[in-house]
Formats: sequence, C-alpha cells, structure tokens
Amino acid sequence: MSAAFELRGLTAAVPGEKRAIRLVEDVSLSVHAGETLAVVGESGSGKTVTFTSSLGLLPKPGRVIAGEALLEGVDLLKLRPEELRRTRGARIGMVFQDPLTGLNPVFRVSEQITEVLRAHLPISRSAARDRAVELLTRVQIPEAARRVDDYPHQFSGGMRQRVLTAMAIALGPRVLIADEPTTALDVTVQAQMLDLLGDLRDADGMAMVLITHDLGVVARQADRVAVMYAGRIVETGTVAEVFAAPRHPYTISLFRSIPDIEAPTGTRLTPIAGSPPDPARRPEGCAFAPRCFAVSDAAGCRSVRPLLAGVGHAASCHRQSMLETTA
Amino acid sequence: MVFYIARCAGQFAVALVGIVTVAFFLMRAIPGDPALYMLGDFATPEALATLRARLGLDLPVWQQYGIFLARALQGDLGMSVVTGEPALAEILASVPSSASLAVAGMAIAIAVGVPLGVIAAVRQGSVVDVAVMLIALLGISFPVFWVGITAILLLSHALGLFPALGATSEPGFWKGLHHLALPALVLGLSVAAYIARLTRSAMLEVLGQDHIRVARAMGVPEWRIVWKLALRNALVPVLAVIGVTFAWSLGNAILVEAVFSRPGLGSTILKAVLARDYQLLQAGVLVLAAAVVLLNTVLDLLYGAIDPRLRQQ
Amino acid sequence: MTTAIETIDAVAEAAARRRAAIRRYTRHPGFMIGAIGILLLVMVAVAAPWLAPHSPTRTDLMNTLARPSATFWLGTDQFGRCVASRLIHGAQVSLQVGFFVVLISLSAGTIIGAVAGYAGGWLERALVAVIDILLAFPSFLLALALVAARGNTLDSIILAVAIAYTPRVAAVMRSVVLTIRPRPFIEASRAIGLTPWTIVLRHVIPNALPPVIVVATVSAATAILAEAGLSFLGLGVQPPTPTWGNVIAEGQTAITTNPLISLSAGLCIAYTVVVLNLLGDGLRDTLDPQMRRNTGKLL
Ligand SMILES: Nc1ncnc2c1ncn2[C@@H]1O[C@H](COP(=O)(O)OP(=O)(O)O)[C@@H](O)[C@H]1O
Ligand SMILES: [Mg+2]
Repeated sequence: MSAAFELRGLTAAVPGEKRAIRLVEDVSLSVHAGETLAVVGESGSGKTVTFTSSLGLLPKPGRVIAGEALLEGVDLLKLRPEELRRTRGARIGMVFQDPLTGLNPVFRVSEQITEVLRAHLPISRSAARDRAVELLTRVQIPEAARRVDDYPHQFSGGMRQRVLTAMAIALGPRVLIADEPTTALDVTVQAQMLDLLGDLRDADGMAMVLITHDLGVVARQADRVAVMYAGRIVETGTVAEVFAAPRHPYTISLFRSIPDIEAPTGTRLTPIAGSPPDPARRPEGCAFAPRCFAVSDAAGCRSVRPLLAGVGHAASCHRQSMLETTA
Repeated sequence: MVFYIARCAGQFAVALVGIVTVAFFLMRAIPGDPALYMLGDFATPEALATLRARLGLDLPVWQQYGIFLARALQGDLGMSVVTGEPALAEILASVPSSASLAVAGMAIAIAVGVPLGVIAAVRQGSVVDVAVMLIALLGISFPVFWVGITAILLLSHALGLFPALGATSEPGFWKGLHHLALPALVLGLSVAAYIARLTRSAMLEVLGQDHIRVARAMGVPEWRIVWKLALRNALVPVLAVIGVTFAWSLGNAILVEAVFSRPGLGSTILKAVLARDYQLLQAGVLVLAAAVVLLNTVLDLLYGAIDPRLRQQ
Repeated sequence: MTTAIETIDAVAEAAARRRAAIRRYTRHPGFMIGAIGILLLVMVAVAAPWLAPHSPTRTDLMNTLARPSATFWLGTDQFGRCVASRLIHGAQVSLQVGFFVVLISLSAGTIIGAVAGYAGGWLERALVAVIDILLAFPSFLLALALVAARGNTLDSIILAVAIAYTPRVAAVMRSVVLTIRPRPFIEASRAIGLTPWTIVLRHVIPNALPPVIVVATVSAATAILAEAGLSFLGLGVQPPTPTWGNVIAEGQTAITTNPLISLSAGLCIAYTVVVLNLLGDGLRDTLDPQMRRNTGKLL
C-alpha cells in the first residue's frame, strides 16, 4: 500500500551570511491512512519547519532546496500555486502549535470557518454556517450553536485548539498534521484533545502526523515514531521497537529525561545538558556529539556525519553497535 | 456596546473641558498682553484699561478661568472685535466649507493611501514596494502649499482641467465639486503619503502573525487573506494614524485654502490674525481642537466595532 | 587588577565593535544619502555669503523677472533679486529653525515625557492628560497662533514652532520610557535608593535616547515645513529676508512668467525634508531594530 503522505529527502534552508543555513536536512518519512506517526524532539529540532515547508508555508526568504512532499503520490512542491492552495486545507490539514494566536482576533469563529469552507466549496453563507455548527459539535465544543458566533478571545485555550482542529478537518482531509496539539493546554484537557484526535482519525481513516515532545503521548497514540535532532531524523521505527530498544543516544537521553511510571519513585530524572545547536552553527560530524554520553573521537563522531542505518528500525549513530551490546 | 458608547461620549465631554482649560492657560502663558496685542499701534493707556476691563483681564486668573469656562461651555467665546459678531458663530459659519475640504481630502487620502500601503507590504522588498515608499517619501516632503501651486500651474494653467480657484459663488453641487476637486486632491495626496507608510508597517506586522499562516494552511485564497483577514487587523493601527494625521491635515488645510483662495476656517483664522482679532483666533483654535477630539471619539467607537477585544474591559 | 594584555584585548574588542557599528551605517544606503545630503546643506548654509553670486536682498527694478542666465542661475524675481542667491541664503533660516526647534522641543519634550512615563501616580496622570489634550490642537495652527501673539521675529517663530511640536516629542518619549520602566536595571537603581530624579536623568533618558534621536531628525523636517508654511502665509520671518517659504509666496504671484522661482524653492524644502527623513529612517534601522515598534506609530 502506498503512503498517504511521504517526505523524501526534504531539505529547507534560509539564506545566511555566507551560505544557505539548512533548517531541516534530508528528512524522509511516511505515514499511511489510519495510522499515526509521531515526530518527537526537543524544541528547535526542526519539527515545525519540516511540515510547514512541505506545505509550501515556510516564510520568505526560506525555501525548500531539495526533496519531495508526496500527498497520495503527488508532489506538493511541484504544484502550481493555485493547485497547492486548493490542496491545502482540502486534502491535507494542519493544526499549528499555538492555539492562542492561531485564530484571527477580529473575526467571529463562524466567519473564520466559513472562510475556509468557501475557499474550497461553492456553498452559501448560511449553509457554511450550519456546517460550522456541525464541525464545532464534532470537535465536542459544548453548545456549539450558541458559541459559533463568538470571537476567539471568548474561548479558552483548549476550546480554541478545538476550533482550529475543526477548521483543519472541515473538508475531510486525507492527512492531518497536528503540531504539538497539547503543549499549550492544561494537563486535564490534554488527554481529551488526544482522544478527540484519535477518534477523528479512526472515523475518517485519516493519516495523522502527531508532532510532540512528550514521549508519553507517543506511547499512547502513535504507531510509528521519528525522532528529530538538529534538523535531521536520527531514529525511526515502530513505537514498540523504539521504546523497547532505543538506538540513538539522543533517544536514550530523551527517555531518561522523562518520569517513568514504572520506575521506582525517587529515581532521578536526567535532563539532557545543553541545548540543540543553532541551525547556523551546527557542529561538523554528528550534531549531537557535543551533548552525547557515548561520544568517541575514534568512531568519528566529531568528523563524519552519521547516516540513518537499519531496515525498519533505523538510527544514525556511529556508536550504534556499542550501544546495542551494552543496552 | 452601549457601555462602550457611553464611555466614549463621557471621554469626549471631559476632553472638551480639557481643551478649553488648556487653551485658556496656554493663551495666558504666552508672554504679552492680549489687550496690547489687539490694540497694536492704537494702544493708549486709557484704551488699554477699557479693553482689559471689557475682556475681564483685570480679574484674578482663577476667576477669569471660571468665567471663561462657564461661558465657553454655553457656546459663548466672546465677540469678534472686528465684526462685532459672536466669535463662535463667525467660526462656525466657515466650518462647512472647510469640513467639505477636509472630508474630501481624507476620503482621497484613505482611498489612495491604504491600498498603496497594503500592496507595498504584500510585495515587500520588490520594485513596487520601493517605488511606493519613494513616492510616499516625496509626498510627505514637498510642502503642501507648493504642491498646490504646482498643481495649479500644471492642471489649471497648462492643461485647463480644473479651475485655479478653490471655490465659486455660483450655486450648484457639481460646480462646487469641480472647484473642490483640486484642493481636495492636493490635501488628500499629502495625507495619503503618511497613511501609505503606516498602513504598510501595520500590514507587515499582521502578515507575520500566526493566524495568517493558519489561513494559508487552510487554503484560503491569498487575496482574501490580504484584503479581508489581514486588513481588518491592520485597520485599528491605521485608524489610529488617521486620528493623528487629521490634526496635522487641518494645519495643511489652512495652507491649501490659502493657495486656492478658498473661504473657510483657514482664511477666517488668517483674517483674525491679520486683524489682531484675539477672540476670533481663540474661537478658531478651540473649534479645530474640538473637531480633532470629535474625530478621535468617532475613531474610538470604530475601534470597538472592528476589534471586539476593545469593547470589553 | 587587569593586566596589560587584558586591557589591550578590551581595547581591540571595543575597536572591533565600533568598526562593526560603522559598517552597519555605511552599508545602509538611505542613511548614507541622508547623512551626506544634510552635510552638504549645512556646508551651503555656512558658506552662503561666499557661494551666492549676488546679494540676496539687492533689488534691481531694471532687471525684474529675468530668465535664467550665467549670471542669474535661476533668473530674478519681480524685484530683480537673484533667486539662486535667495535660495542659498534661505538655507540658513531653514537650518536654524530645524536645529533650534529640535533642541528646544527635544529637551522639553524629553524631560516632560520621561517624567510622565516614570513618575506614576497623579503627576503622571496629569501630565498624560495635558499631553493628550495638547495633541488635539493642530500643531501648525498652534504655532500660527503663538506667532500671531508674539510677533514674527526668527526667535519667536522658533519658540512658537518648538512649543507647538513639544507635546508630540513628549508622547513619543513617554511611550519609550514605558518600555524601559520594567527593565531590571531600573528596579536595581530603585533598590539601591537612588532618587527618582537621578534615575530619570542617569538611566531612563540615556536608555531612551536612540528613539529620541530618530524623533529629532524627523521633527527637524516637520519644523522646517512648518516654518515654510508660516513664511508662505506671510507670518514667518519678514521679507526681504530670504526664506524658502517667502520665495515660494513671492514666486506665486509671478508663477506664469517665471515658474522656476516657486518650483526651485519647493525643491529646496523637499530636498531637506527628504534627506532628514532618510537619515531618520536610517538611524531607526541601524540604532535599534526593535525601535520601529516604539516610534513607528506616532510619527
Ligand atoms: N523562518 C525561519 N527563518 C530562520 N530560522 C528559522 C525559521 N523558522 C524556524 N527557524 C529555526 O529553525 C529551527 C527549527 O525550528 P522549528 O521547526 O520551529 O523547531 P521545533 O518545531 O522542532 O521546535 C530553530 O532553530 C528555529 O530558530
Ligand atoms: Mg515547533
């Protein structure tokens, strides 16, 4: 079966002082209908840029300089602007990271949903409004018929996230990209949001990309996972494989940095020291080397860029074999 | 919304009292004696004393202020020394002519400035943007009276498109409009330059906001994003600019009226200055300031209509 | 104790920073054009007596409204005076007005605005209210009324324009101070017990200077336009003193015979305002990119 959405060697860059600064590099991933792919990594690792640039939404002067973004086999990056516009929102939807600023403050929610519907469908204003109420009901906004004419500031953060989700699924897209859908929300509503996304995926048979930095979310919701660091995918595989035997030191460090439900209470968390490198100043060799617990000059960590190696469960680390034997 | 309107109305009333108060103390703070100023070369000690008594200048300042405020709030701004008519009535009589110039000029300014600013922002960094910004820079740099003279030279004398006089005694709406066109164009384009510059920067800010990226991701056509979704957001700062430029454009209107020999507040105020008609000048200043406050109140109401967040609080 | 080497390093570093700053300016075309343009104008104004081919005020009724020629570059006006010489000398008035108005309105506006932004309590509220009300008075009209009351010598025109434009500077200054007030070093100064006046003079004003410098260049342009307007209405420095506004007004009566008189005077004003605005925009971009926010909307 072919993938609903697939990236092949996607590389996006912005012009720099001397040469182009690559924000994401050679990213390949795929997600099938009815499946959830989780993309994880610390903030700044390039998760958002990967998907905005694949939709042609990277702000100028940013640009995709290589790769393909295939939606059901069609490369979005080769479409003419008008074709791309018709595809966006209709066949692939994206819910962005920050629900508080994602809605237009000076338009009613009904007007904003109507705007999306009428961008793709020849329907009347009143029909669009009825549809907006249905959509809000579908994302479980209480009293949708009454709230539909409210302004964004009259909704809580969680409710705004639901409105944005309603807009993203309004035209029944085949692929839904949800960028950190729970990060800005209260813990109590995070679970509800995730359940809602899961239900929507199952009901429509969508392919879903779930961007997150919460490994707990990955474990509960995703089928497969791609771990990103410094603009590259460093490890990918099924959730079961990666959770059972992480191969990249970065993934291992991520696991060590979260509280483990099964670990005996009192176990210390070890957050990863330092922060991801600025895209303009990525080290030679492995970008994770400066923060890596397994780094070794002999293995070429500081001089040779490691390749993603492995079939199915793959990782890009010079020290993989060493980690596997000691793990 | 009702609350919001009431609050705006209340602020308007307070501002009016403020204007009268500030005008009073400003006039008193200027070195120089109004009576001496009015009499000029005819100032004999007796004449001075009589005039000061008539103007109430021999009373303590606070008492003068009380009388002045009480009278002003009843619409009594004294008598024009030259004509003997009530100063306010004389000023108000010249308002319609100036108001039509100001309104026409503002309409042109908005109709030209806002779209140009939007286009420049959308095409940021392109030739179009540079050209629009260059023209706007020139627009704010040439003195408005010079633009008026040049326009008369080109469009009236050379091409004969418009009359050189900014007004006519002949009756008829179209006749009046024909004479109003050139002054309004000159006034409007100078203000349009400002509005274009500020619309551009407001639009650039809005176009970088998250909700615009969301609209793009949803496949909303670019022209609707720019002219509907973004522009309404940019309108609040743009209206704020219009409020600020209005006071400034009234100053320009005086000059435009002078260039086109058009009767109005400007010429009345100039007449007052030349005739040393202190009361008339004061009434003119107060009326124009009140017009600015009135416009700002209307704009406050509009902000509320545009941005629902401002209605609350 | 710092060692000699550390000192040398520090000096070298400071020099490098300075070089980087200078590069930022020289790479900004608008700033360069503005700076060079204004410098040229100052030189013309200073050297006017030597540059001008004729006396700007000597009339010659035998040679009125002459066409441009080698001796009278821009021809003569209806009194037979050399237009080019009048324009060259007119630069002196315009530049003086620009300079002194900025000096006065900036010092007054900065102090009032800084206090209005920093004081808090009733003083702040009262000052803000007065500034807001003053902003309702069209500045040009206010200047006109003040000139009318005080007479039209150069001094009183400068003072009138300065007073009329001070509220705007004060408003900008206050908005800038409001963004400085919450910064940590202000807290710290208060904590170590500095008096409010000391804090305003030593910390608030210096930190608010970059945007104020931008405002200064732009208000110089506004002041020059205002003076020209007053001159045009006959309320400026009195003829026969050459000012650009006077030349335009006098040229208007002869506009059909020699349009060059008014046109060239207008170009002089526009040139000055353009270079000042370019300089201001350039300073705004280079001094502090964040500043756009603080000053952009009020100008
Ligand atoms: N338009 C852009 N121009 C330049 N750099 C950018 C741009 N967008 C993102 N970046 C940089 O790219 C890196 C990746 O950002 P992002 O994809 O937002 O990370 P994540 O979503 O994983 O937190 C960050 O270092 C960010 O600063
Ligand atoms: Mg992100």
